[in-house]
Amino acid sequence: MSSGPEAKKPAVAPSQAEQKLRAFHDEDAVQKSYDVKLLQRLWPFVKPHMRYVVLSLLALALMAALNLLRPLVMGRVIEHAGAKQSDLLLRDGAILAGLLVVWQLFSFGQMYAMQLAGALSMADLRGHVFAFMQRLSLRYFDRTPVGRLVTRATNDVDAVSELFASGVLNALGDLVLLIGIVIAMLSLDWQLALIAFASLPIVLVLVQFVRQGSKRAYRDIRTKTARLNAFLNEQVGGIAVVQAYGREAAIAKEFDQINSAYRDANKRSIYYEAVLDAAIEMISTLCIASLLWWVGVQKLGAKPVSFALVVTFTQYIRQFFEPVSMLSQRYTILQSALSGAERIFQLLDEKDLEQFELRVAANPSVAVDPDEALALDHVTFGYKPGVPVLRDVTLSAKRGEKIALVGATGAGKSTVASLLLRLYATQSGCVRVMGKDVCASTRLELRNWFSVVPQDVFLFSGTVLTNIAMGEAQPDRSRAERALAQIGALELFQNRGGLDARVEERGSNYSTGERQLLAFARAVYRDAPILILDEATASVDSDTEAKLQQALSVVMQGRTALFIAHRLSTIQAADRIVVFHKGCIVENGTHEQLLQLGGVYARLHQLQFAAAKRVTSASEVAAPSRTAALAGRSGN
Amino acid sequence: MTNTSQQSSSAPASQPARPPSRLSHYLRAHLSKYLLGALMLGTFQLAMNRIDWLSKQAIDGIFHSAEGVTASAMRPALWMLALAVVAFITRVASRLFMFNAGRDVEYTLRAELLARLHQVGMAFYRTLSAGEIMSRATNDLTQIRLLAGFGVMNVINVLFALGSALQIMVSISGRLTLVSLATLPLLMVITRGFSSRLFQRTQKNQESLGQLTECVQSNLAGVRVVRSFGLEESEQARFATINRQYLAASLGLARLRGAMFPITGAISAAGMLLFFGYGASLLLKGPENGGLSEGSFFAFSLALARMTWPMIAMGFVVSIVQRGRVSFGRMLQILDAKPEIVDGLLPAPKQIHGELQVRGLSFAYGNRSVLSDVSFTVPAGGSVAIVGRTGAGKSTLAQLLARLLPTPRGAVLIDGFDVCDLPLTTVRTAIGYAQQDAFLFSTTVSRNIGFSLDDPDSPESMQKIRRAAQEAQVLTEIEGLPEQMDTIVGERGVQLSGGQRQRLALGRSLLWQPPILVLDDPLSAVDAKTEAAILDSIEKQAAKRSVLLITHRVAAAARCQRIVVLDRGRVVEEGTHEELLAQRGIYAAFAEEQKMASELEELGRLDIVPVQSAAGGAS
Repeated sequence: MSSGPEAKKPAVAPSQAEQKLRAFHDEDAVQKSYDVKLLQRLWPFVKPHMRYVVLSLLALALMAALNLLRPLVMGRVIEHAGAKQSDLLLRDGAILAGLLVVWQLFSFGQMYAMQLAGALSMADLRGHVFAFMQRLSLRYFDRTPVGRLVTRATNDVDAVSELFASGVLNALGDLVLLIGIVIAMLSLDWQLALIAFASLPIVLVLVQFVRQGSKRAYRDIRTKTARLNAFLNEQVGGIAVVQAYGREAAIAKEFDQINSAYRDANKRSIYYEAVLDAAIEMISTLCIASLLWWVGVQKLGAKPVSFALVVTFTQYIRQFFEPVSMLSQRYTILQSALSGAERIFQLLDEKDLEQFELRVAANPSVAVDPDEALALDHVTFGYKPGVPVLRDVTLSAKRGEKIALVGATGAGKSTVASLLLRLYATQSGCVRVMGKDVCASTRLELRNWFSVVPQDVFLFSGTVLTNIAMGEAQPDRSRAERALAQIGALELFQNRGGLDARVEERGSNYSTGERQLLAFARAVYRDAPILILDEATASVDSDTEAKLQQALSVVMQGRTALFIAHRLSTIQAADRIVVFHKGCIVENGTHEQLLQLGGVYARLHQLQFAAAKRVTSASEVAAPSRTAALAGRSGN
Repeated sequence: MTNTSQQSSSAPASQPARPPSRLSHYLRAHLSKYLLGALMLGTFQLAMNRIDWLSKQAIDGIFHSAEGVTASAMRPALWMLALAVVAFITRVASRLFMFNAGRDVEYTLRAELLARLHQVGMAFYRTLSAGEIMSRATNDLTQIRLLAGFGVMNVINVLFALGSALQIMVSISGRLTLVSLATLPLLMVITRGFSSRLFQRTQKNQESLGQLTECVQSNLAGVRVVRSFGLEESEQARFATINRQYLAASLGLARLRGAMFPITGAISAAGMLLFFGYGASLLLKGPENGGLSEGSFFAFSLALARMTWPMIAMGFVVSIVQRGRVSFGRMLQILDAKPEIVDGLLPAPKQIHGELQVRGLSFAYGNRSVLSDVSFTVPAGGSVAIVGRTGAGKSTLAQLLARLLPTPRGAVLIDGFDVCDLPLTTVRTAIGYAQQDAFLFSTTVSRNIGFSLDDPDSPESMQKIRRAAQEAQVLTEIEGLPEQMDTIVGERGVQLSGGQRQRLALGRSLLWQPPILVLDDPLSAVDAKTEAAILDSIEKQAAKRSVLLITHRVAAAARCQRIVVLDRGRVVEEGTHEELLAQRGIYAAFAEEQKMASELEELGRLDIVPVQSAAGGAS
């Protein structure tokens, strides 16, 4: 990187760190292109829109035909001029005009049909990718950065669509044209044609040379662009670190390497493109020159070449080289599209999906209490294999019952909620909701039983209303207002702009307390029979604290509730308390019962409550407003 | 863009030179390239001009004279060959010169952008968001590059092409020239119109894509909410709507792109038709009657064809120039930004002893006061803890000390010198600041920890890095990574836990060994045991340097010689650990809370015999 002496020793291999870095940044490079296989996989998305592609290809064929006719008509016009036949000249002139107009019309139709096919196919592909991502397991999301997934559905699909939008497939029509031109020229005057095409092999050699070079240059540009932008992005994010350590100069040097590498890669690409363009011009001039020379040779011979034919052939030559010059550009777009497709299909090959097959309950004969709302039956579960988070856990709640789960961090409480929602599958044991095995319910059926108020409330960008009435196309305003009023937060939100107040991405313009209140409002709006509350551990100010308490008491009414509780007041609101410790249930009972036991719960309670009492008296003088808040809360 | 900090230091003489605000300056830096490119273009067009004349000569020679092959065809053909080679070389050379100049301008601007960012620093983000900065560095820079390369080249090329082609056309027949070029103005107007419409539609397309991206982003980031609430269907519907919108935008663009070439093609074809029609009638007349010879006709057609593409390009080029200038204007927002934090006038003192004094420091973001009249002293070699709840202003304080934010005059002194009077490098080297947010770069672990080192790969450096990692209690975990020290972390690399990141960042600052160490909440995501070990290391460091530890952990604060308690930007309590406990104020309240929390944690780690019902107990 910025190591001066290191860079001047060519004999020394780059350090291991450098090698790893180079490998890391080059790993986006296009590897061997499995072109055909990728195109095959794209086919199912193009197939429904095949008729547009066919139309486009037909138009292309017609255009090629018209192109072939044009020089012939031109030649005829010249002939008539030479023979002083003005009326025939006019007629053929009109035909020429007609050919040109029709060609342009077809050109528009052809391009648009192709683009239509492309845009429709890509919309299908995009929808497919999105739907697929909905089925990925949560475990996959735990280990994959979101940014990478987003580009699959957006930028990568766009890269593939360029295949259609930029007319790469027109190359097929061009091929027909090229063949047609060769045939036409050969049939008009084969000797002249051969002379004209004598320089063709040079073109082929050139194209090959340029193709190799520009493929490499292109790949270089792609990786360097990614590296450049990633670097800049990091500088923008980490500027404080750079400044604090005074590394501006060193970073500038490092950046210079990347910046100049990017520039040089582009310059190489410029070189290849320039050479190809200029070479083709030169070759076509060469063809014309050799044509003229041959014509000169023939003029005193048996069959002199007419001027009209010269004009015709010149036109053909020009038409011949046009598509060749577009070759390298088209190849670049093709490569870009294919690498986008490669990444998309890599995602679609992912096997880590949510297992949501309906399974018949293992023991249908097990008698289930009709009053049972939720239950875990000898459940063992771990996020990673071999590291159990829940061990042989059995608990249940009747309808309308409110149970609190308590215990130290990591004891397994939040996991219970995830399992009830079947966000993960258990390793052994059975999870039941409303008497039915979760494995036997459909996703929607199961999740409609629940309202979840989580620790970290995720807000979607939109309005307060859309966040309360999540998922509904036509949110019910009065219902949302009633929900807010019920939890006593209506005034608070009305002061902040009401139901139509804007919510920024991730809800960054709302405080933690306000977000929690919105979560409660969601629960009330949703009106599901079971409430899961995963209490936030962060401390909030006493005002918000009180509001949240009130909101909870309202939401709780008439529902079955599962609290993962930290606040004493929440715990006391429960009918029954289940104490977790290291993944097992160690105690189970009412508040009074457990206190009497003198076990884990008693100790927990003592720590929290007694300490709160001490804190109360201690800070009475210093901060009276904080007292009330501390009294009902644990730290952490 | 100005903030309301009082009395920032005025710009002294040693301020870095500001980049000139004119685009022409950047272009002029590569004047030689542009001139050479222009020369090449001129030569190229001249060669093409000669080729056209030679073809006339050849054709006329073949069809109208009785000369032999050599004179009529061979010689012109050979000359054409030679000129074709010349044309090839000059054409490639002109492209290389001009387009490369464009890339050079881009390179320079990008480097200046970064340099400016480095100078202005965090104060920048009050005017431009990170996304907007990146957009200037990518989209806007591309437009500028197009102007500087493609734009300039085409302007010059058009002029030369016009010159060289018109020369032939007018010499052959003025009237034919007029007829053939009749459609030209229309062509230019139309391509210009298309180009701007295309740009607008592309913008709309981009916006639509932005909405699509946002939809996917929020769906994936909120995957838990979506799954827990069973929102999959509604999310699907939402996506389908936006997908359809994007489809419509794409098709709008497609229609425009699809119409562009046929329409411009039709207009230029009309021009060619006019030429063909009138030209053929002139052919019919023959040169004797004021018409054309075959050679003239042929040469004219070549020249006309050569002129067509540059004329079509003209319309696009005008738009490119326009857009390039607009983009440069946006770029100036960054390039013209004045750094508020500049070097002081005093020379760098030979040695920093490490005494840090804060006197009546106040700071505000706009109208919101963050710090009010904060005062305390860290003696050389001493340790002070700043304690307070979130939002008390602790991080702002730390940033002001290192002059990462505009520090007011007379508020912060190192060894008795006002930091605003010292050179920036001195201040930054004197104060080792570890940020709360533990930012890691996408590079190897060793390079992250050894960020301050010039030669992170040398054996001595590796030793230092390992030692620092050990002190930060993260070495064992590094060894457990797939590539150990060479593992790539950061946003694009292996995802580390919050605690691991914090400890890496801590290692980074410990490695540096500055005279004054300012640690901003380096232990928030770390458990008690690891915390104790890290504090041991810091204590060892404290023996050699002054330490300012910003924390809300009482256990950490207790290790410092003195504790300052901040509440809502004000100092409310001050003293040693014991003194503050005895005061039974905010600090004491913290202590109780955290004691309880650690006892809870302890409890969680005990081994208890599990029982299911209300019977049996714990130890």
